[in-house]
Amino acid sequence: MNPAAIIQLSLPDLAAAFGLILLAAALARLQGAGQGRDLLWSALRMVAQLLAVGYLLHFIFALDHPLPILLLLLVMAAFAVQTVAARVKRRMPRFYPVVGGAILIGCGGTTMLFCTLIIGLTPWYDPRYLIPLAGMIIGNSMTGASLAAERLAGEMAERREQIETALCLGAPARLAAREAVANAFRAALIPSINAMAAMGIVFLPGMMTGQILSGTEPILAVRYQIAIMCVITGSVAATAFLILLFGGRSYFTPEHQLREESPPARG
Amino acid sequence: MAAELRLEQVCKCRRDRQGGMVEILRGVDLEIPAGELTAIVGPSGGGKSTLVRLLNRLEESDGGHILLRGVELKSLPVLELRRRVGLVLQKPFMFPGTVLDNLQLPFRYQGNAVPAGSDPRLGEVLRRCGLSPELLKREARSLSIGQQQRVSLARTLLPGPELLVLDEPTSALDRPTGDRLADTLRGICRDRQLTVVMVTHDLRLAGRVADHLAYLEAGRICEAGPAATLLETPASPELCRFLAGGEGEDA
Repeated sequence: MNPAAIIQLSLPDLAAAFGLILLAAALARLQGAGQGRDLLWSALRMVAQLLAVGYLLHFIFALDHPLPILLLLLVMAAFAVQTVAARVKRRMPRFYPVVGGAILIGCGGTTMLFCTLIIGLTPWYDPRYLIPLAGMIIGNSMTGASLAAERLAGEMAERREQIETALCLGAPARLAAREAVANAFRAALIPSINAMAAMGIVFLPGMMTGQILSGTEPILAVRYQIAIMCVITGSVAATAFLILLFGGRSYFTPEHQLREESPPARG
Repeated sequence: MAAELRLEQVCKCRRDRQGGMVEILRGVDLEIPAGELTAIVGPSGGGKSTLVRLLNRLEESDGGHILLRGVELKSLPVLELRRRVGLVLQKPFMFPGTVLDNLQLPFRYQGNAVPAGSDPRLGEVLRRCGLSPELLKREARSLSIGQQQRVSLARTLLPGPELLVLDEPTSALDRPTGDRLADTLRGICRDRQLTVVMVTHDLRLAGRVADHLAYLEAGRICEAGPAATLLETPASPELCRFLAGGEGEDA
């Protein structure tokens, strides 16, 4: 199928689609769920946010320069860090540098690897590829980062006795916290493992569906999906690994002493 | 008797829940004689546990000096120090696995050759701690608290520390079990000429086994000396009050 042959969505078409939101709101009202306002408000936010990002992408595509693209990716990464901060109940010491650095290096590294070595983009910053791919990688890594950071904080708080006993027996900090770190890594990787295992059977992934809708040959769309899932899993693992490497250390002094517990994050 | 450990004006502050600083130890001066059992006694909240955590640098002091055989603790590599000063924490923590696994752990942590199950040192240390060598194959977490406390002691003793420090080793035990453990410590100290420091709020127990006694209250050592002398003729009003109050009679 030729991409040019994509069925265009006119504004009246969109309005008709929006009718289904009104239907959902009506059904919510009928059920007495009290979600009607939330539904409409969320739908309006979605429209405004997507239109904004659409025009922004349109503008950035037109500029065709790496700087605004990298700036956009940095903003996305910053939002990801902020989202992780909001999600975790307990923040590790040096939370922002650890999580920020891990997302930048983990996601940045794998995105670059994917774009340059695997799909061989020319130019390397081609926004049509780089932005959506980085978006997917950052989004999934953010979930992995939240799980790793949250689980690590929980494990470190729950295992204080175990860790201090190990330190007393002469363990260096890395060994004393080994179990806590391993459990946190495991938690971070579970969504990626589950997603890969269920993919194609339980659900058709969004990127693949999008590509097929826009006219890409299904087999090529599947290849892209396989590649992106591998990169996402690699990025989640790298981001979680870096968070746990530096975050795990941040619970200890350089003299292998467990720091006092930090107060729970606000909000 | 030469001092194994000397504390000079040791201070420690801690952050309280409001974020302010609280002085836990306020210039502690203390000498721990070599080859003897010293009990640090005092009411709860007086800073005893904090004090012992400074001895293997599980925590860092904020002021003063702690000297192990004349050498400043902070000048020693911390992992080496923890091999030399064995600290048994108040609540015995058993790692998953058997008693043997637990006894092997310090060797794994310290990167030394791990003794095999048939190594005679394992049975010997268990016997010394009042346990049967048959327990080696038992799941460590299936043992009673008293047995876990003894495994914890054996685990610390096995790599051969120069100084053994115990934080309230009998607090979770009933009186007869606690007494037996204290007697075991007494025996280990005598047989191996090992310097032992034991923190307790139980004066009776301290009187039963300690050669030396130091009374710590509100972050200061109020009185220290031979245990018999301190218990019979206490000089400081704080210790007199503590003795008169019968505090610590029951663990």
